Amino acid sequence: MRHCWVTAVLLSLLASSSWAQSPNEDGLAFFEQKIRPVLVQHCYSCHSVQAQDAKKLQGGLFLDSSEGTLTGGENGPALIKGNSVDSRLLKALKYDGMEMPPSGKLSDEIIADFAKWIEMGAPDPRHGATPIKPKREINLEEGRKWWSFQPLRIVVPPSGADGLRRQTPVDNFIVAAQTQQQLQPNGPASKEKLIRRAYFDLIGLPPTPEQIDAFIQEASPRAFEKVIDGLLESPHYGEKWARHWLDVARFAESGGYEFDGFRPGAYHYRDWVIRAINNDLPYDQFVRMQLAGDQLQPDDYLAASASGFLVAGPYPGQTTVKTIEGIRYDQLDDMLMTVGGSMLGLTLGCVRCHDHKYDPLQQKDYYALAASLAKTEHGPRMIDPDPAATRQAWDRYQQAHQPLVAALQKFSVEQLPQRFAAWQSSELARQPDASRWQIMEPVALDAERAFLKWLPGGLVVYDGHFNPGSNLFRRGQRRNVGSADRYTITLNTFQKAITSFRLDTLADKSLPQRGPGVNGDGSFQLTELKVMARPLDGNPAETPQELKLKPVFAAFEDKDQPLSHAVDGNPETAWVVRSTAKKDNAAVFELETPLAGFAGGTELTFELKFRDLGIGRMRFSFSTEPNPATWAGDLTPQHVGEMRAILAANANKLPDHQREAMVRWFSPFDVETAKIYQAVRDQIMAEPRAALTEVYTTVAGGQDVYLLRRGEVDNKQGKAEPGFVQVLLPTNAAVQPANGQPASSPTDPRIALSDWMTSVDRGAGPLLARVMVNRLWQHHFGEGIVGTPNDFGAQGERPTHPELLEWLAAQFVSGGWKLKPLHKQIMLSAVYQQSHEVSADNLQRDPTNRYLWHFQTRRLDAELIRDSLLAVGGNLDSSLYGPSILDQTPRRSVYLRVKRSELIPMMTMFDAPEPTQSVGERISTTVPTQSLAMMNSPFVRQQAEKLALRIRPAKETPLAQAVDSAYRIAFARIPSEAERVQMLAFINAQNSIIAGDPETKTTQALVEFCQVLLCLNEFVYID
Amino acid sequence: MAHENSMNGIALPARRQFLQRAGLGFGSLALASMLHQESNAAPSVGGDPLALRSPHFPAKVKSIIWLFMTGGPSQVDTWDYKPELQKRDGQDLAGSDPKTGFFTTSGKCLKSPFEWKQHGESGSWVSGIFPHLSQHTDKMCFLHSMHLKQNNHAPASIELMCGTNRPGLPALGAWMTYGLGSMNEDLPSYVVLHDTRPRGDDQIWSAGFLPKTYQALSLDARRKEAVDNLLRDSKHSDAQQRAQLDLIRQFNNEHAASRPSQVDLAARINSYELAYRMQMAAPDALDLSKESEATHKMYGLDNPDCGTFARQCLLSRRLVERGVRFVQIFAGKGVNGDGSVNDVPWDCHSDLETNHRSCGLYTDQPAAALLADLDARGLLESTLVIWGGEFGRTSDSQGSKGRDHNPNGFTIWMAGAGVKGGFHYGATDEFGYKAVTNKVHVNDLHATLLHLLGLEHTKLTYRFNGRDYRLTDVAGNVISDILV
Repeated sequence: MRHCWVTAVLLSLLASSSWAQSPNEDGLAFFEQKIRPVLVQHCYSCHSVQAQDAKKLQGGLFLDSSEGTLTGGENGPALIKGNSVDSRLLKALKYDGMEMPPSGKLSDEIIADFAKWIEMGAPDPRHGATPIKPKREINLEEGRKWWSFQPLRIVVPPSGADGLRRQTPVDNFIVAAQTQQQLQPNGPASKEKLIRRAYFDLIGLPPTPEQIDAFIQEASPRAFEKVIDGLLESPHYGEKWARHWLDVARFAESGGYEFDGFRPGAYHYRDWVIRAINNDLPYDQFVRMQLAGDQLQPDDYLAASASGFLVAGPYPGQTTVKTIEGIRYDQLDDMLMTVGGSMLGLTLGCVRCHDHKYDPLQQKDYYALAASLAKTEHGPRMIDPDPAATRQAWDRYQQAHQPLVAALQKFSVEQLPQRFAAWQSSELARQPDASRWQIMEPVALDAERAFLKWLPGGLVVYDGHFNPGSNLFRRGQRRNVGSADRYTITLNTFQKAITSFRLDTLADKSLPQRGPGVNGDGSFQLTELKVMARPLDGNPAETPQELKLKPVFAAFEDKDQPLSHAVDGNPETAWVVRSTAKKDNAAVFELETPLAGFAGGTELTFELKFRDLGIGRMRFSFSTEPNPATWAGDLTPQHVGEMRAILAANANKLPDHQREAMVRWFSPFDVETAKIYQAVRDQIMAEPRAALTEVYTTVAGGQDVYLLRRGEVDNKQGKAEPGFVQVLLPTNAAVQPANGQPASSPTDPRIALSDWMTSVDRGAGPLLARVMVNRLWQHHFGEGIVGTPNDFGAQGERPTHPELLEWLAAQFVSGGWKLKPLHKQIMLSAVYQQSHEVSADNLQRDPTNRYLWHFQTRRLDAELIRDSLLAVGGNLDSSLYGPSILDQTPRRSVYLRVKRSELIPMMTMFDAPEPTQSVGERISTTVPTQSLAMMNSPFVRQQAEKLALRIRPAKETPLAQAVDSAYRIAFARIPSEAERVQMLAFINAQNSIIAGDPETKTTQALVEFCQVLLCLNEFVYID
Repeated sequence: MAHENSMNGIALPARRQFLQRAGLGFGSLALASMLHQESNAAPSVGGDPLALRSPHFPAKVKSIIWLFMTGGPSQVDTWDYKPELQKRDGQDLAGSDPKTGFFTTSGKCLKSPFEWKQHGESGSWVSGIFPHLSQHTDKMCFLHSMHLKQNNHAPASIELMCGTNRPGLPALGAWMTYGLGSMNEDLPSYVVLHDTRPRGDDQIWSAGFLPKTYQALSLDARRKEAVDNLLRDSKHSDAQQRAQLDLIRQFNNEHAASRPSQVDLAARINSYELAYRMQMAAPDALDLSKESEATHKMYGLDNPDCGTFARQCLLSRRLVERGVRFVQIFAGKGVNGDGSVNDVPWDCHSDLETNHRSCGLYTDQPAAALLADLDARGLLESTLVIWGGEFGRTSDSQGSKGRDHNPNGFTIWMAGAGVKGGFHYGATDEFGYKAVTNKVHVNDLHATLLHLLGLEHTKLTYRFNGRDYRLTDVAGNVISDILV
C-alpha cells in the first residue's frame, strides 16, 4: 500500500509557528517566482485544502500555507527554516527516502531553488486558516461500548402472546420479533423435508430411504430429537462442520506464489479439525490449541496438528535476503487477518498500516499481536501420532526380553557347563591362535538418529533414521532428535594388553552411493571418536579410563580432513570419508599406552560423533600385537581369544560367574548355545520404532517484530512487545495481564494470547463466543444473525436478533463452549423446523426473510453437491481421515487436495473459496459451466448410471417403482402422480430414440432419467 | 439474501430485466414488482451478476487483449533505446543498486546486442528482434516508466494483474467483468490463453474474493478439449439431451414457482440454456479453420517458430469479436541454455541475446498480425492491445551476458482504442535502469485502463471481510496525458 488513510495533526503544534516575523521582500519575490509555481503545479493536487475537499489529501500534509508546511503531516514538519539538509520537503524532492512528486523527479535546478529558499528561512506570504483536522484519536472507553465488544449480558427470553409456536427459548426471540413485524411464521415442514434438511445440515449427506422410513414411522414426539442425536454422533458430522471452519482458516496444502510447493503434512490440521468437532472439543480449547497447541502440549501430535492453523497461509517458494523481511511481515499479516476474521470477526488487516478507520483498533494493537506471533515459523515436523502405542510396544518389548534372559540364565546353569567342558577338552586346543585383528562382537548399540542393528561377524549396520527435530518416545524416554548423529557401541573383552583398534567402514549396495556413509552422497564425517574402558564387573576399586588414541592409518584420507581430526578433541573438525572408491575402508588407531584390562573383564564403549548422518556399515576390531601399523593381516572373531582369556584367568576352568558371558563366546561352537543366544539377540533387534508422521505446523524460529509506520519494513518505529487488542480488555493497561499473571512472567506469548482470546471476563471471550454462535446459526439458516460473519465491527451488519445472539452466546459459554448442545437447541426450535413456503403477505412485509418467517431454501455447497452425487450413486467411500487425494476418488470432498494453484474445478465451479484469506460466507453463484458439468461431465454421467442400476436392481422391477426409488434417493420423497406419469413418459420417449436391444434401451433410458433428476434444482437445494 | 456485496455508484444489476430474459412464470413476476421497490438495496447475488451494466461514464474501450510477455522482457533490448548504455558497455553502471535484481548483478553496463532503428512517423526506436511489430509503432502508446515492487515472477505478476502482490485478490479481468457485466451470453467474459502455465499460475487470473462468476476461463493450448465438459458424452445424442433439458426446465420452473423469493433458481434454470448454447458457440469461436488461408499465413499459424502464439492471437481476435471483454495470452519461448524456463520464457538470466531472439521470433509476427487484423476490421477502435511482462531487466549484467529482474523501470505499450498512437510517456534514466520521469505504477496503469473502460477506479469497490477493496488498492492516478 503506497498511501494509507489520512490523519491530520494536532492543531496545538501551530502555536509555535513564526509567522509574526517579517519576511524580507527579496525572499518573498523569490518565493513567488521560483517556489509557488512549483508547489501549485506539482504539490497542491495532493497537499492542499482543495485536495482535502476532493478527498485526495495525502499524508495529512498541507503545502498550501506557511502553517501547513511548517506543521507538516504524518511524518512531521515538511521543512525546518534555515536547514535545508534536514528538511523533509527537500529530501522528498531529492528522492531521498521518499519520492515526491511521485510522477517524476523535478529538475536539479528546481531542487536547488527549494534548498536556497529553505536556507533563506522559507519566506512565505501564504498565511491562512488551514483547516487542520484534529488527529482521530481512538477512544477506547467509547470503543468498549460497541455492541459486540461489551461483556456478555444475561438475557431472559421474551414472553409473548399465546397461540404462536414456541418450542424452545430460541422461538421466544424469533416470535417476539415476528409479532412486532406483523409476520405470520410458517407451520412445520413435512417430515420428509425435515429429515433431508437435518441430514444435510449436520452431516452433509442425504438420508437413505431406510432412514427416512424409520423417521416417518416413529410416532414419538422425540423422533426428531433422536435423529439429531444420531447425526451428532456420526463421524460425518465432523466432516461437514470442519469444512466451514476450514473456510475461515483459509486452509490449503501448498505455499502458493512461485511453485506452489506442496505441504505433505498439512492435512493433519484438517483431520484435527474434524476430530475436534466430532469429539465436541470445547470451542475455547479448540481456539487455544490452534493458537498455541505446540506450546501448551509440546511434541503432542494433535496439538502440533492444531497449530498448523497459524501457518496454513501462503508463503513464497523463492525468497532472497532482499525479500525475506517483507515476506515475513506479510506472513504475520496473513496470520493476524485469519485470527481476526475467523475468531474475532475483526478486520485486523486494516490496522497494519494505520489505526482502523472505523473500529477502535489501534495500529499498536496490531503489532502487539504480531509480536505475540514473533517466534512462530512454519515447517514440517516429524511427530509420533500415537506415542501411547509406541510406549506400549516398548513395554511389550521389554517384557518379552525377560523370559529369554531367564532361559539364557537357566541354560547357563543347567546345560552350558557340561557342554563347554566337553568342547573345552576335545576342541579348544584345536582352535587356531587369534590372528592380528580380532573382530569384536557388539553387546549394545544406540544412536541419536539412526537405527543400528548388528549382524553376524560383528557388523553394525544402519537401518533407517529419524529426521532432526523429531520428538519421540524411544527406549523408554521421550526425546528430541538432534541433527548430528552419535553412535554408542558397547563391546566386552577379557583379553589384556590391547594395543590398537581398527574401524572398518564397509561399502554396500543398500547405502546411498554404496556408502560407506549414510548421507545422500555416501559420505560420513566423523568429528570425534572416544573410547571408554570400564570394569565389566563394575568393581568400584578399579577406575574407568578414557583411552588415548593415535591415528595411525586410514585407507581414505583427505589431506584437509584427515583421520587425526577424529581424535583431536575438537568437535569442529572431522575425518571425512567420501564415497569415491565404493570400496571398503578402514582406519587404525594405536593406544598411547596399551590397555592392561580389568581383572573381571573390560567393557569398551565407542562413541562416534558425526556431522549429520553417520556410517552405514562398520565393525570394530582390536589387536594385542605390539605394532599392527597397518590394516593388513587376518581378521578373526574375538570368541576364541575371549574363551582362552577367561580360562587363563581362572585356572583353566569356567568359573560360575562367567557362565552367562560364556554363552556369547561359546555360541558359534555349539548348536544349543547358539539357539539360546540367538533368541536373545533376535529379540533385541526387534526393538519397536515410533512410526513418525510429517506434520506441517509451527516450528521454532522467527525474530523480533517492529512497529512499521505505514506497514513499510523500511520504516521501523521501535520493537513491538507482545500484547492484545486494547479495546477487548476490561481497562486500558500498559502491562497486560494474561489470566491474572503479570506480563513479566515467562508465559509464552502465544499461550498468553490464547488465554486472552478465550477469557470471558478479562479478554476477548464474549466476542469469540458471539462470532462462533453466529457461524452456527448461519450454517443452519443460510445467513447469520449478523450477516457479516467475519466482521462484527462498525462496517459489518448489525444483528437482526441481538438479544437472541446474546442469549445463544451466554448459553454457549455457560454450557462449556460445546457446539453439539447448541445445534440441538437450534434444531429443536420451531423456527428451524418450519416449512419453506412463501406467503405473499409475509413476502411483502419482509422480502429478504430477515425475521425468518419461512425456512430459507438454499443451494448445497460444492463439497456437498459432489458428495451427494456419490451418495445417490451408491458409491461414496465413507472412510475417514488421511492424506488428501486428487479428484478421482469416491471419498468425501473434504479430503480432496487443496493445492492453491490447482484447485479442483468441480469445487471452485460451485464456489468453494480461494484459500488465501479467511472466508466466513460463501457466495453462491450460478454459471453455465456448472450446468455443463451436470450435463456433460463423465463424473455426473457415471453417477447417473450407478443410480439407474440402484433403482432397478432386477429386470422385473417395474419402471414406476424405479422412478419412485429414484425420487426417494435423490429428493427424500415420493413423486406426485403427475411427476411419475411425466417421468415415465420421458423414459418411454428416450427408449424410443435409443438404439439397441430392449434391455440396453431401458437401462439407458433410465440413465437419462436419473441424470435429469441430478440436474434438477431440487437435487442441489434444500428447504 | 443480503450480501457483503456493494458496487458503490455502479448501476445495480437490472434484476427485472434479467428475470424477463429468463422468461419465468408467475412467481417471478410478483417478485419482479417487489424487487422494483427495493431497487436501492445491495444487489443480490441471486440476480444475474453478468448482466450488462452501465459504466460510470462513456467507455472508449470495450475489450482488452493483453499479450503478457511472461518472464519479464528487457526494456533496453526491446523498446527503450539507451545510447548511453550502448556507449558504456562494461563500465560501471552509475546508480546501480544491488537490491534491484533477484540474484546478484555485476554493476557493469551490458549493452544491448541488437540492432536499433527508428520506425514510423513517430520515429520510435525499436530493437531488431521485432521486424514485424516495428511497422506498427505509430499505433503504439509506450509507457517507458512502469515500475512495481516485487522482484520475482509470481509476486510481480500478481502485483501487475491484481494491484498488490498478495495472492487471493481479484485480477484486472475479474474486476472488469464485475464492473461492467458480460457483453455476450455464450462465452465467458474473461479468457486466459496459455500453454505452459506461467509461474504464479491461476493466482494471476484469480477472481479472488469476487464471486466465481467473474473467474477466468483458462484455455491450455496443449489440451485437446479446450473447455471442460463442453462435449457431450458420445453415447448421448443431441435429441436425447434436448429432451432432458426441456424436462429439466419444466420441472425446475415448477420448483421455482413455489419459491418466488429465490432468485438464483431462475438463474440456474437459465444457465442450462446458456450452457446448451455455449456448447454450440464455444467450439465455433475456437474453430480457427473458419479463418482464411491468408489470415493463417499473416498470423503465422503454420510457422513452427510462432505457431502456438499465432493461434492464440487469432483466437483472441475471434473472442473479442464475440464480445469477450478481456483476453490475456501468456507468451514467450526460450531455448535451452539461455537461462529461461518454460514457465517464464523471457527470463534471460544467462543469455539475453539467444533468449530475446527466440522470444522475439515467437511473438513478433503474430502480435503484429493481430494489430493489423484488428485495425483492418475496425476492432482497434474498441479494443486495446497491451504488450508487457511482469517487470523489466537490469541494465547491468548478470554473469557475462544475462540480465536479472528489474521492477524499477520497464516498458509496456498499448495500442488501439482510447490511447495516443506513436506516443511515448515517461522515461527511465539514461541507462534505462530506473523510471525517473512521469513514473507509472501498476495502480496508475489500472486506474487508466479502468478509466478507458468507463470506470472510476476509486468507485469500483467490493466489500470483503469488512473492507472495501479496489483494484488500485489505496492509490492510482489516471494518466490523462496518454488518452486521446
